[in-house]
Amino acid sequence: MTKQENLNEKWDVQLRKGTLELVILAALKERRLYGLELLKLLHSFETMKITEGTLYPLMDRLKRDELVSALWHQEGENRPRKYYQLAQKGEDKLTLLTNRWRQSVEEIEYIIQHTGPQAIKPKGE
Amino acid sequence: MSEREQIHQYLKDLSKYLSRLDKFNSDEVIREIESHILDAIELQEQNGQQPDAKAILDGFGEPRELANHYVEHMLKGTPPPKGFKAIQKVKRGVTKSLYYSMGLFGFGISLFLIIIGLGKLFMPDVIGVWSAAQGNSVIITFSEHTYPNSEELLGYWLIPIAIVMGVSIAGLTKGVLAALKESLQ
Repeated sequence: MTKQENLNEKWDVQLRKGTLELVILAALKERRLYGLELLKLLHSFETMKITEGTLYPLMDRLKRDELVSALWHQEGENRPRKYYQLAQKGEDKLTLLTNRWRQSVEEIEYIIQHTGPQAIKPKGE
Repeated sequence: MSEREQIHQYLKDLSKYLSRLDKFNSDEVIREIESHILDAIELQEQNGQQPDAKAILDGFGEPRELANHYVEHMLKGTPPPKGFKAIQKVKRGVTKSLYYSMGLFGFGISLFLIIIGLGKLFMPDVIGVWSAAQGNSVIITFSEHTYPNSEELLGYWLIPIAIVMGVSIAGLTKGVLAALKESLQ
């Protein structure tokens, strides 16, 4: 692994620690997915490659916190799968976290755009 | 070790480390993980790849570590109400039958006491509590006759005492059931 790749991975891990719950809730918005589908969806994004060992205990916690609901369902000849979908509490939390995330992104972007040597003026002033 | 044996061994180990959870929760975790592994192997085959159970199991991590992630948040929960600390140990092994037996036992005693209290109120000569065998036993009677060689206890005080005790036991049972229910979910 090159130094750049190593740095990227460390950054992704750090960022995911704070954002994974938001990502999962957003991925389940108006969708019903089972674990492997959700994992495949996340793996289709370079910075979201979490492991099975991270996903499943997290899903269980979200279920216990009543943010998502889970239901075993069998389609055709497939084996039964546990499908997850957003609960009302999860929808509410998704709205809150989405707003907070957008504000953070805007503010970080603002700071990145306004480099020195002048003192940075708080946004809106 | 064949693919099937590796999976079997992994799930067996995981089940061992999940033993602190009740059977329902533990089985639910195992069932979902097994379903994922079998789906993932099928997917590898559909994509023309050689099934690689080890790679999939590596994604889940060591069984002990994976089990710890579940056990941590399942047993953490909300702290028990004051005076209910001992229930934490019981909660780990709680099953539906324990839950319903507890309810039946607690509410049964409560109902019995309330019936005694109300019975004494409307039929004072029929219901009574007697001290028998020189005070070594207490007998509740539903009879118009006095209990031989004994004296009646409490008299009309039986009414409020039995009703208050019945209501208190119902309240206590309700609290215990609420604490046990968290573990059933």
